[in-house]
Amino acid sequence: MHIPDGFLSPAVWATLDVAAVPAVAWAARQAQNDLEHPAGAKSRAGEDRQREAQGDRRIPLLGVMGAFVFAAQMVNFPVGLGTSGHLVGGALLAIALGPATAATVMTAVLILQAFILQDGGVMALGANILNMAIAGVLAGYLPYHLWGRGRTRSAAIFLGGFVSVTVSACMAMTELLTSGVPMPRRLLLISGLLFLANGLIEGAITVAAVRAIERMNPGWVRAAEPVHARMMIVTALAAAALACVGLALSSAAPDAIQSALSIRGAPPGWLNKAALGLAGMGILYAGLLLVARRFARHRLARQGSA
Amino acid sequence: MRHAPGFQHANVEGWSRGTSPLHAVDPRAKLGALLVFLTALATTSDRVSWIHDTWIYGAYFVLLLAAIAIARLPLLPMLGRATLVLPFSTVFALATWWAGNPRGALVLAAKSFLSVLATLILAASTPWVRLLDALATLHVPRPLILVIQFLGRYLFVVTDQAAQVMLAAQSRQGASRHQRLDPCKNGARRFQAAAGAVGVLFARSWERADGIYRAMLARGFTGYYPAPAPRPFHARDAAFLSLSVAATLAVRLAL
Repeated sequence: MHIPDGFLSPAVWATLDVAAVPAVAWAARQAQNDLEHPAGAKSRAGEDRQREAQGDRRIPLLGVMGAFVFAAQMVNFPVGLGTSGHLVGGALLAIALGPATAATVMTAVLILQAFILQDGGVMALGANILNMAIAGVLAGYLPYHLWGRGRTRSAAIFLGGFVSVTVSACMAMTELLTSGVPMPRRLLLISGLLFLANGLIEGAITVAAVRAIERMNPGWVRAAEPVHARMMIVTALAAAALACVGLALSSAAPDAIQSALSIRGAPPGWLNKAALGLAGMGILYAGLLLVARRFARHRLARQGSA
Repeated sequence: MRHAPGFQHANVEGWSRGTSPLHAVDPRAKLGALLVFLTALATTSDRVSWIHDTWIYGAYFVLLLAAIAIARLPLLPMLGRATLVLPFSTVFALATWWAGNPRGALVLAAKSFLSVLATLILAASTPWVRLLDALATLHVPRPLILVIQFLGRYLFVVTDQAAQVMLAAQSRQGASRHQRLDPCKNGARRFQAAAGAVGVLFARSWERADGIYRAMLARGFTGYYPAPAPRPFHARDAAFLSLSVAATLAVRLAL
């Protein structure tokens, strides 16, 4: 669900654009580490230098994987009742390549779509990146990270696909509501049901696709191992909680928003809600910033000891 | 099978290789003008009146029409492509209308349509690789720009492959026309086949990336991507930028 321009209020898109910058920087930097040293491998000074010398061999891989996302979205899955769904791919990429790499690939996809294919707004790019490339991917990876070993593995992958799509959609809805786009109760209900169905479809497709990939080469799917565990859990939970709180708030009082909309900006109720939403986004931003900082320090310390 | 992104994009890419005065302007200037336009559009208040709204959004539209004329782009296909956004807008516009704000509904539709049209003009008057170089001047990290370049180059290769994989799967399992006879079983089988197709695509993409990297090494790749040569920002580009910013601000502030 790409938000076009013209829907989000300037305060919302500006905040989210600013918030997306450190998040993307974090993902890109982390991706650099992940592909060369999968999951927690201790790197020594020599290896570090060798990695720098190897340069950016991951860049072709990330680019082609972005093209893979487009291609995979073209494949139709019959989901009964004569309708068909398709993969979104955030959770699948996160499980196969690791969350940071997946977030980078999805960011590249979204930038290309916004500027070259006019799919999703240019000003709303920060919002779309945070919804789908950051929150969607991290939330999709979280269940796999927690329960991705042993008997619960398939369930974890399914849950990852489900959560990934649902969190993205909830965040998009929250942003639209915060911007004052009216959402009558019935529309909210219908879209909620649609999100649920989409989530279930994405979960089922993700499980089937991961199995198909593993059948060809088990090495292509990363084993679930802790990678900066606590930070990721905190970030993903913050994103999910934020989305759910926003949705709960807005569905609790849709009429207030409705009436607020007919005379935009005037009633204090609307302002309250906007402030609340922005505060939530601010918390998310602070969290991401913290992660980026912490990661940078970690990296510096390692380079210093080398 | 959904349409590959390429089918709709082919036109835009053809248009972007034109030779009009707008095509000749530096992409950075066009990007700056676009950002100013979008910001002005987004911050246009919609609290006044029908007449005011008609004037101001009409004026923005005229600005964009002028840009299309300067770029010598085909008007109707451009407008048609810009309506791609309308399904999404219509849902929310109808909701706004339903909520008792018909003017808000029209403003919403107008804003999203004009935004898409403006972005489309940039994409249709600038080759995409140069557009990405312009993004680099906005401090989009260079590795990310490089990833997008690879993505753009292999987009059609991989999506074509997806079309082939799906066609092959359909040929093997027979026409989907018979699915009604045994919906459940056949549906499950087709679901598995589609998952298999995604798996095959993943595998081929992975191998392709490996092959690309080896080919780069074979051609003397040293692990270092040369930065594009800095392009001069001519007086003409500065003139275009200031003129379009002035026109946008005039509409935004005067009307």
